[in-house]
Amino acid sequence: MTAHTAAPHMAARDMEAPGVRIRDLTVVYKTPSGELPAVRGVDIALAPGTITGVVGESGSGKSTLALSLLNAVQPPGRIAAGSVEIDGLGDVLTLRGEDLRRARGRQVGYVFQAAQNSLNPLKTIGKQLLDLGRSHDVEDLRALVRDAKDLLARMGMDGARVLDSYQHELSGGMRQRVGIMLALVLNAKVVVLDEPTTALDMITQATILRIIREVHEERALTTLVITHDVGAVAEVADSLAVMYGGRVVEHGPVTEVLGDARHPYTQGLIRAIPRLTGDLSLARALPGRPPTLGTLPKQGCVFRERCERRMDVCETDEPMSVNRDGRTVACHATDRHLTLVKRKEFV
Amino acid sequence: MITGTGITKIFKQRGGVLGAREVPALRGVDFAIAKGGAASFIGESGSGKTTLGRIIAGLETHDAGEIVIDGVPMSPLSHRARQPYFRRVQLIHQDPYSALNPTRTIHQTLEAPLRLRAKQTGRPRSWVDGRAEELLAMVGIDPGYVLPRYPHQLSGGMRQRVVIARALTMDPEVLVADEAVSMIDVSLRLGILALLKDLRERLGVGVLFITHDIATARYVGDDGELYVLYRGQVVERGATEKIIADPVHPYTQSLLSAIPVLHGLERPGAERVVPREMQREGLPDGGCLFARRCPFSTERCESEMPVLGRDGGPGTETEQEHACFHPERRGVIPVGVGE
Repeated sequence: MTAHTAAPHMAARDMEAPGVRIRDLTVVYKTPSGELPAVRGVDIALAPGTITGVVGESGSGKSTLALSLLNAVQPPGRIAAGSVEIDGLGDVLTLRGEDLRRARGRQVGYVFQAAQNSLNPLKTIGKQLLDLGRSHDVEDLRALVRDAKDLLARMGMDGARVLDSYQHELSGGMRQRVGIMLALVLNAKVVVLDEPTTALDMITQATILRIIREVHEERALTTLVITHDVGAVAEVADSLAVMYGGRVVEHGPVTEVLGDARHPYTQGLIRAIPRLTGDLSLARALPGRPPTLGTLPKQGCVFRERCERRMDVCETDEPMSVNRDGRTVACHATDRHLTLVKRKEFV
Repeated sequence: MITGTGITKIFKQRGGVLGAREVPALRGVDFAIAKGGAASFIGESGSGKTTLGRIIAGLETHDAGEIVIDGVPMSPLSHRARQPYFRRVQLIHQDPYSALNPTRTIHQTLEAPLRLRAKQTGRPRSWVDGRAEELLAMVGIDPGYVLPRYPHQLSGGMRQRVVIARALTMDPEVLVADEAVSMIDVSLRLGILALLKDLRERLGVGVLFITHDIATARYVGDDGELYVLYRGQVVERGATEKIIADPVHPYTQSLLSAIPVLHGLERPGAERVVPREMQREGLPDGGCLFARRCPFSTERCESEMPVLGRDGGPGTETEQEHACFHPERRGVIPVGVGE
């Protein structure tokens, strides 16, 4: 398994994984009631060579955040403020036209949500690979095909057969791997995976998560995984960012965030995950429902309506992100109880 | 009480140069759902779990076997005579977004079946509105808010509750919930699962719970039975908590091993069963259906098909039933930190 990766990716491995810094990112969508923020003031750094997981429910802004990394937010959406700095590339949000097109695929690989359905049904995988190569002016297309075969073999597939196949001849898990291959074959060092395991069977999901982890390490990537599934992130990520209502409400090392969540939303979310072990009576759904663009409160904390630790200040002031010992939390209540008592009121 | 014995379904694929091909979707499945009980069917896509749900709901025919509802075997009855029986089984779909008519308010959605029900049971028309409110309250939503609204004005969780309320209009004996929470936001899933469990206790309605996510089965029927389906065959069956805690079939163990570990809250189990991956899955002739993928298969598994039972050879009798020649306990599920 490990043998075929050695030669072609030596060069890739020598290169340092790039860091990514998203600063004060705000993305708005035009609606009948004015421009509303789907992502608001998000600050998040992806440390070089790590996998960051972004977890959020519908309407949390996680997919919009991911698209911003490609500067690919489509109208009626618009990136209103902020920057996305990628080492060796600069601020992606200032790139335009050809420069932007080249960066996509070359520097930033993207595995789309439902990658299973993002392939062209009329062309073989190999043809689509060659199209990709030509559109990026790859001179040695033979080498590209060789790299693609190596990558597919690395993911446990028969490369030659897959390249000769149409998408309908491949299973969901195989298509997902083809999506990952296409995102990596131009040697992108930053990879974004949007819901990589949705709609896959359990065993296939475990295989894909293992592959993401292994390929990430072997190719020295900086990876962002966007998902609604806390379990998938727990399995694969180094750090975990939790999004709610367009904000990152908590961010930190994955074991710490799961083992000792500080934001009431994270705590509630973890308590709401159906698990194989543990007391059934302690598990509870969060009250209320996730906000949509239209129901987001104009001021104050976006989570307060569902929060059991709501205070007066939450109605009026939006909590700032506070960074303490490598963890970021945006919550008035957490802020206070951290300085006063350590985890007393929360049983 | 609904029981099924030897339920078999074969899909015939037409066309192709070699003519028709037969694809077995269910291979002699036995099951029973008691009043207020829970039976959870676990399996991956292609395991036959959805087909089974549709057969039990009367939406699909089967090729062999017998379904008995309230002591009445269905096969001798005409299609028409079966209808009142199958009306007692209501299906809850996976997708609450497409299960409701977008041009009807929730009031209209509930009114139509309730009128029918009023007619069947000789109740006055005035009963309908009160019953609609009662049912919505029962599924945990505010009737005043929901009744005048259209489906698009409701969240996924609310829509799924409306779908459940609509199923309850027929006073069903059994609810068939097919992946009923897979499209619901994570923070709300537990609410729907708890509702199904609550309905079992309050109304005595049985739940046939179909899912690929084993953990969710605990929240609907930890006291019920779990059936693990692989390619149309039940490969392990027993008390839900027992099988989750102590599975013996390598396929069940593979499924449980595949569930992500919540690092920080859990530690991975001591062992992990990873099935072999097939480029093209061929089935052995007459052998165990899982043999080609099973990391523990032997020659016997390739040539002989194991049947569901308790015996795994001398000294290895298990509490649950399994279809494996080499059942063995393996610690595959994660352990809670601090447990």
